[in-house]
Amino acid sequence: MIRNKNMKRASLVSAVIATGAMVLSTLPAQAATPGVTASEIKLGISSPLTGSAGLSYGKVPGAMKAYFSYINANGGVYGRKINLISRDDKYLPTLAATQTTNLVLKDNVFALVGALGTATHSKAYKAAALAKNNVPDLFINTGFSGFTDKTKYPTTFMVLPTYAMEAKVIAKAIKDNFPGQATFLVAQDDEFGSDGVAGFKTAGHTFSAAPILYPQGSMTAARAEAALTALGATPGKPVVVLFGTTDVTATILKAAEKLALTTKFTWYAGSVGADANTLLALGVKPTTIDGVITASFMPDAKDMTDPYVQQFADINAKYNKGITFDNYVLAAMNSAMLTVQALRAAGKDLTRAGVISAIENKGANFASAGLVPLGYSPTSRIGYNGYWVAQLNAKGEAKPYGGKLVIYSTDSGAGAVSVSTFVRPTMPKNGIPTNS
Amino acid sequence: MSKQVSTKKRTLLFVAFGWVLLLLGDRVGDLELYQGSFVATYALAITSIILLTGYSGQLSLGQSALMAVGAYAGALTIFNAGLHPIIGLFMAALVAGVFGLILGLIAARLSGPYLAGTTLALAISLPTLANQFPILGAEEGIVFDVGLPPARFGEDFSQYKWFFWISALASLIMVWFIANLLSTKYGRTFRALRDNPIAAELSGINVGRLKVTAFAISSGVAGLSGGLLVMLISGVSPSAFPLSLSFALLGGAVVTGLYNLKGVILGGLVLVAIPEIADSLVSRIGGSEGFITTLPGFLVSALLILAVVFTPNGPGHLIKRHHKK
Amino acid sequence: MIRQFALPTWGSKMTEFITAILTSLSSGAIYALMALAIVLVWRSTRVINFAQAGQAVLTTYIGYTVIQRTGSYWLALVVAVISGAIIGAVIDRFFMRPIFKRVKSGPIVMIAPVVATLGLLGIIQAIIGFIWGLTNQSIEAPVSTGGYKVMGKVIAFSSYNLLVLVAVAIAMLLLTILFQRTNIGLALRASAYSPEIARLSGIKVDAVRTLGWAIAGASGGLAGMLYIPGYFLYPNAMDLLLVFGFVAAVIGGLESLFGAVAGAMILGFAINFSTTYISQKLFFPTAFIVLVLVLLIKPSGLFAAKKSRGA
Repeated sequence: MIRNKNMKRASLVSAVIATGAMVLSTLPAQAATPGVTASEIKLGISSPLTGSAGLSYGKVPGAMKAYFSYINANGGVYGRKINLISRDDKYLPTLAATQTTNLVLKDNVFALVGALGTATHSKAYKAAALAKNNVPDLFINTGFSGFTDKTKYPTTFMVLPTYAMEAKVIAKAIKDNFPGQATFLVAQDDEFGSDGVAGFKTAGHTFSAAPILYPQGSMTAARAEAALTALGATPGKPVVVLFGTTDVTATILKAAEKLALTTKFTWYAGSVGADANTLLALGVKPTTIDGVITASFMPDAKDMTDPYVQQFADINAKYNKGITFDNYVLAAMNSAMLTVQALRAAGKDLTRAGVISAIENKGANFASAGLVPLGYSPTSRIGYNGYWVAQLNAKGEAKPYGGKLVIYSTDSGAGAVSVSTFVRPTMPKNGIPTNS
Repeated sequence: MSKQVSTKKRTLLFVAFGWVLLLLGDRVGDLELYQGSFVATYALAITSIILLTGYSGQLSLGQSALMAVGAYAGALTIFNAGLHPIIGLFMAALVAGVFGLILGLIAARLSGPYLAGTTLALAISLPTLANQFPILGAEEGIVFDVGLPPARFGEDFSQYKWFFWISALASLIMVWFIANLLSTKYGRTFRALRDNPIAAELSGINVGRLKVTAFAISSGVAGLSGGLLVMLISGVSPSAFPLSLSFALLGGAVVTGLYNLKGVILGGLVLVAIPEIADSLVSRIGGSEGFITTLPGFLVSALLILAVVFTPNGPGHLIKRHHKK
Repeated sequence: MIRQFALPTWGSKMTEFITAILTSLSSGAIYALMALAIVLVWRSTRVINFAQAGQAVLTTYIGYTVIQRTGSYWLALVVAVISGAIIGAVIDRFFMRPIFKRVKSGPIVMIAPVVATLGLLGIIQAIIGFIWGLTNQSIEAPVSTGGYKVMGKVIAFSSYNLLVLVAVAIAMLLLTILFQRTNIGLALRASAYSPEIARLSGIKVDAVRTLGWAIAGASGGLAGMLYIPGYFLYPNAMDLLLVFGFVAAVIGGLESLFGAVAGAMILGFAINFSTTYISQKLFFPTAFIVLVLVLLIKPSGLFAAKKSRGA
């Protein structure tokens, strides 16, 4: 009996080891340029698909795949089809490190696209030795200013402006539109908030009270009510800046509904936390959303008069069935479009160094849905270089604040915020880039 | 298998095993080396749980917090104090051990679920503190850099092989140390305490002190594994130590069997291999987006449960039976 | 130039204090919902049921579907509570019981159920994601969420908060009566304290333990349906609540239903006062500090029965 049990265990153990060994086996053969063949370009993305972060950003890989499928159906990139491999990192640094290493070493991808998150990607970048292998790290989805450091992240290109830039633009908008009002900041207590706080400081903006910095996950309904009750005692119509994720914006707006304070404040929600669709899905009343000010560098996903938006919505309907077209899908498709242009600009002899230099030299002129200029250059890795100030209405549409589109452009450092006359490039026919 | 291994023989075994790993390390690719480093790191973390739960009968749900303490201590030593990485790893174990000693003084008073609750609360609160001190570098954290492999190993000696050497060697030494400790008088008193606390107390064992000792040593081991973990992801940040890490390690400990250190490699291997197996299975099966997204989580959980249901006492169960006689 | 505003006056100090009390009450009630479910399972089988977060969310999703179909919150509440009971019973009968057949003594008895219920949590969350998708939903509260108006001022307390408080109080009372005054309750207590003796005295211990899980599941269903309208619905929606509920249950001594509610209130007050008066950053550390302080004074929690200590 014991013998039998023993054997059973031994076989189980060996089975596990065997499967483990199988998984850990065989490295794919190293090609001249990894991930590129005559017929295919392999790209990889490590991002959260499950867990809390997956709720908002889980759509990103699917939307990028949809755009690539569309390009593939229309001839690909110089005849090569793009194959995007997606891995779930659950927004955890350790998983991001191992998944990104898997993408590079096991899936043998040519480049990474759309990696998400600061803690996650800063670890993944080093662990997967992206710098050493010169793996292009394209259009990452975080606004943390640390990623602008070319010595630390030599192959990284951001797409979002930095959080500090957003803070500077918001500071200017407050100064121009709400002079003399009290201002308060409620921000997530990590690099997101600290970048924001630094940006406001650079812009010379002083808040009327110390910023409320909350650890992630601690802004409960009760805490939001307590915070708003305290701020509600301020005379006038104070401006409350919310620098956090959309669920926190929703929690705070719902607390304001409860306390009948929605019209007491001018709400200013940072671009990360102002997705109107999500706010409505989270149960915020349309009347509360009406009037919330936010900043954006993209057109609104509901604006079907915009040719880019219209094109992307079409692609979404055909290649991403069952997924609602929203701001996350729009941004992801836009990054995919930038990726296609980067691959084209690098020429037919695709190399990793070629893509990096193509973006440095030609990236600023890529066609994209963004309403603000792209800032790529041999010295700058920041994508969009500014914001336009938007106001949500009860339908959840984002319209230019004050009725007229004003584009503010700035840098991530001490530079001033200026009004830009930028007009974005016209969309390539049918949304299929033909650049070189 | 049934005899108590002598210290000398054990040392020889460890050296032989290390040698095998060394040879193996030359024959596999970078990815395998990297995964192997995680296996070694998790095996060490599981060792800390076996020592604590299997030998001293205390249940901690906050092992990730102790790993975090070690990881930050190590990173500060290397990055801020500019000391050698070996000192960094040493400090990881030492600081976590001292932290565990203090925590152990509280823990020794608590039984089962009360200790579980306390360590759980620690695991959720400690990482949020890291954002309060600028020196700890917030979410981007502090770089934990063991540096490039020494030049004399040659051009082909990759960073991953270097990781593998360090993590495997550090884990081997630590497990060897713990294995020796457990075969001394200490180990016997630990077992006596686990098997029958009341009898142990009656026979003059200072139960409280023993529990504190076990907690401190276990924390030190966890701290070292935390240091190794952030070496592998090249930096420390609060979110690298989520509650789910503590929970995964408990699963690994159950697979290993709580009563013996022999299976820790298996536990580590399972923790690394199961998600990989789930991922590759899913990519082979294919299916709708929702299916592909949710299936790995399902598989990992299901495999964990199967392990508990079918080998709840792990491969070490029989050995334990022998010890009890 | 930005105007600086005067320091809070006595009036706003008072408002701050009252708000701290009100928010403490509403948070405490939420923690209590989960703490009750945890204590119920602990009492019946000596298991810390981490799957409870998943069970409660699953039943809430079922309730959500009922609301989508019928528009009735109250019907959904009933369905959620019943399905919670069924799910709880099924889990014990087909899942926990086989495990306990294999795990009988030693430290593994503590750790195996933890690992098993965690695995179960993962499975339940994956199933939810597969059926309902990984997106946010919301459930509208059955009563007004607008704060009451007192002397012309809107306070941070609504009918919805009151509903949760009252529901917690009623659940605690009903369960206490069930446990203390009925034969079923006697059987439940006997099987928990001493399964062997209970078995000898003719109690069907296994069935009684399953009943304990069913009651806990029902209570989890209630927790989800009451908590989610004040929050959002997604697969991980109650993970953190589970942690706080568990901490609250431990503070209360894990045995007593009254202790669970008291522990939850202590936790609610501690967290909201420390974050209001010291710093929002103390949100999580407060849970640890309070727990340690309580356990340093009473190592088995505030309202534990003495003999349960060795468990």
